[in-house]
Amino acid sequence: MINYPKNFIIGAWSLIKGLAVTLKYFFKPVVTLQYPDEKLSMNDSYRGLVGLNPEKCIVCNQCVKICPTACLAIASRQEDKKKTLETFKYNMELCCFCGLCQQVCPTGAIIMTNIYEISVYDRKKFDIDLLNVKKYDEWTDTTVK
Amino acid sequence: MLSILHFIWMLIIGLIVLSFLAGSAMFLIWLERKVSAHIQSRLGPMRVGWHGILQSIADTIKLLLKEDIRPVKADKLIWWLAPFFVVVPSVMAFVVIPFGKTLIVKDLNVGILYIMAISSVGVIGIFMAGWGSNNKYSLLGGMRSAAQIISYEIPLILSIIIVVMHANSLSMQKIVAAQSGYWYIFYPNMALAFVVYIISATAEVNRTPFDIPEAESELAAGFHTEYSGMKFAMFFVGEYTNVFIVSAIATTLFFGGWHGYIFPPIVWFLGKTYSIVFILMWAKWTFPRVRVDQLMGFAWKVLTPISLVNLAITGWLLLK
Amino acid sequence: MNMGPQHPSTHGVLSLELRLDGEIVKECTPHIGYLHRSIEKIAENRTYTQFIPYTDRLDYVASMNNNLGYVMAVEKMLNLEVSQRAQYIRVIVAELNRIASHLIAVGTFAQDLGAFATPLFYCFREREKVIDIFDQICGNRLTYNYMRIGGVQFDFPEGISEKIKDFVKYMRPKVDDYDQLLTHNAIFLARSKNIGVLPKELAISYSVTGPNLRASGVKWDLRKDEPYLVYDKFEFDIPVGENGDSWDRYKMRIEEIRQSLRIVEQAIDALPQGEPTVKVGRILKPSSSGTYFRTENPRGELGFYIVGDGSAYPYRLKIRAPSFSNLAVIPELVKGSKIADLVCVFGSFDVLMGEIDR
Repeated sequence: MINYPKNFIIGAWSLIKGLAVTLKYFFKPVVTLQYPDEKLSMNDSYRGLVGLNPEKCIVCNQCVKICPTACLAIASRQEDKKKTLETFKYNMELCCFCGLCQQVCPTGAIIMTNIYEISVYDRKKFDIDLLNVKKYDEWTDTTVK
Repeated sequence: MLSILHFIWMLIIGLIVLSFLAGSAMFLIWLERKVSAHIQSRLGPMRVGWHGILQSIADTIKLLLKEDIRPVKADKLIWWLAPFFVVVPSVMAFVVIPFGKTLIVKDLNVGILYIMAISSVGVIGIFMAGWGSNNKYSLLGGMRSAAQIISYEIPLILSIIIVVMHANSLSMQKIVAAQSGYWYIFYPNMALAFVVYIISATAEVNRTPFDIPEAESELAAGFHTEYSGMKFAMFFVGEYTNVFIVSAIATTLFFGGWHGYIFPPIVWFLGKTYSIVFILMWAKWTFPRVRVDQLMGFAWKVLTPISLVNLAITGWLLLK
Repeated sequence: MNMGPQHPSTHGVLSLELRLDGEIVKECTPHIGYLHRSIEKIAENRTYTQFIPYTDRLDYVASMNNNLGYVMAVEKMLNLEVSQRAQYIRVIVAELNRIASHLIAVGTFAQDLGAFATPLFYCFREREKVIDIFDQICGNRLTYNYMRIGGVQFDFPEGISEKIKDFVKYMRPKVDDYDQLLTHNAIFLARSKNIGVLPKELAISYSVTGPNLRASGVKWDLRKDEPYLVYDKFEFDIPVGENGDSWDRYKMRIEEIRQSLRIVEQAIDALPQGEPTVKVGRILKPSSSGTYFRTENPRGELGFYIVGDGSAYPYRLKIRAPSFSNLAVIPELVKGSKIADLVCVFGSFDVLMGEIDR
């Protein structure tokens, strides 16, 4: 019988302590950003969309072989002992953003940029031609300012 | 001639009351979203108007434009009438709330009894909503909600009787006038009555931790599943109006109504009411939900004995 | 009655077929397979390094631990010894990920019980800090692909040690906050005490592992009983529960967050210098007739069984997912309880469909 009011008071006190925690956070500043007015910027090592420096590429095909989802495709032509790129196709839909291509490239030609806002309205935009210099102009680059 | 003028005067008062209630409900919806957001370290609506204050208007317009879906086998009249039975009692209770010394629509001399009677009609509305939807989940939700509200009315009324015993009157203005010395909250047995009142009031208006009828993670949506568009908006508005009414009653009964220095009385009244509304919202976003059988157990085994003991103590103190 | 695949309470796409009597559950049959991606079959056509991004996506809230399990299984096949620095880095990263995973478990459990969104938001706010640290280490926020066979992909960048120490200092009072807000809350206790009690023998017979097993009173943790990496050099306790009810399972996770913070603190202080990776050939061709390696995932014991036949591709890769066995015991526990209790038990077991369906 004596336990009954004691349990009640312990229970009520626990509820009040919980209320104190929430009130504490009511008065603290918020931790969210108002997207799209304020965006998070990513650092250099962020693995966003794939980009290419074509002059560095030696067409060794390592990136094509290592990609787990086979999203890269290269076509090249031979020009007296040096291979040059003809087409470098990248299927953004299949890419899993793992970074293996960037890790395995011997010259640092293929890199991962900072672009993370990659939703599109049109399915045809998924196939990106990496040799096109203007390919990512409409897309936001969010390097650290 | 005089009766026509009188009639027009009543219409004007009615319009003022309704517009105040509509504005108040919209303000409360915005306040709830902001309070909940700041408790969770985020900002809430920010886009529409200054800090999102026009968000409620945007939501109302959206709900007005929604298609009014009616289930085919629903009992047409009951289903259609249910939202009115939920909203109208809250608006009717507004008639006896004292906003200032003479700012009251009609100071009935049975004010508190009138409010208690009216709020019981709200239960019928919920029951009708559950039955008329022809959906077994809505029916379950409706029945549970009706059981919940009826069980919690008893501690509610018992706490109010304590105040009435002290003030010797049922009229709202006389209760406020009796607190011109000390507010009633400062008496210890009244403070306990206030705690019981606030808990029962939270259960009456179906807010967490007692919001089983609206529990989203358990049943689909409870008794208002089959309503869309403006009817759903009426349930929603009805809930927030109920919150306001319950807080206004708490202010009148326990916190001295419109008594206060320097500022005009209506500022005091609204300030106190919105503080209690804030407490209700604060509790909503902190606590998990109570289970249905625990809810009933809590009402009958904890709150009712406490109020009865409190009532006996108060009677003894007053007779001394 | 079907509690369908899209439901705010089931963690992922799980369909429960319930047989109800009023509100009492008579029988519960889970239907799984909505997230099946045939990862084990894909493994037979990928080289060992190419498969690492696929392991990320098994238990997607604790990616680092999955990577770790797979990579250590392959290293066991090759009898490869990793450098000390890489081992310490692996421990730090795995424990940070354990904290992040338990935060999600705690947050979603509170939400299932009805504390709408507040504890969930707090947990995600804490998780943001961990994810930010991981973003600077390896470049991604959810699927890290950080471990490699022979070590880790990148070394720690400059200044990460200070950030991790700051995080440990920041996190300790927050765990006390969760205690105050939830653990001893009267309503929370009434909702979760003595609900879904899992007796010791039943847990062992269904091979439940992880915090669920420890809550039932069995003191079994792979980090202490079969230490891998450098776990034997650190001092930490294993919390053990008494009753095996939902409250105990929840409490285990809170205590484990505290212990993980201890481990991270000790590891960061003792981080040795060295190379983060050991050189291995580009194409690995291990051959073995079956290697099994198990690690302690936040959800239980994650095991990888690999059969290699000397070619670049594994012959068979089998993943032993902890949530699969944990899920199997739940229908036993919910017989005769109400729907609200069913939701509570599911939340406290913390199953993740990505692991179950693979």
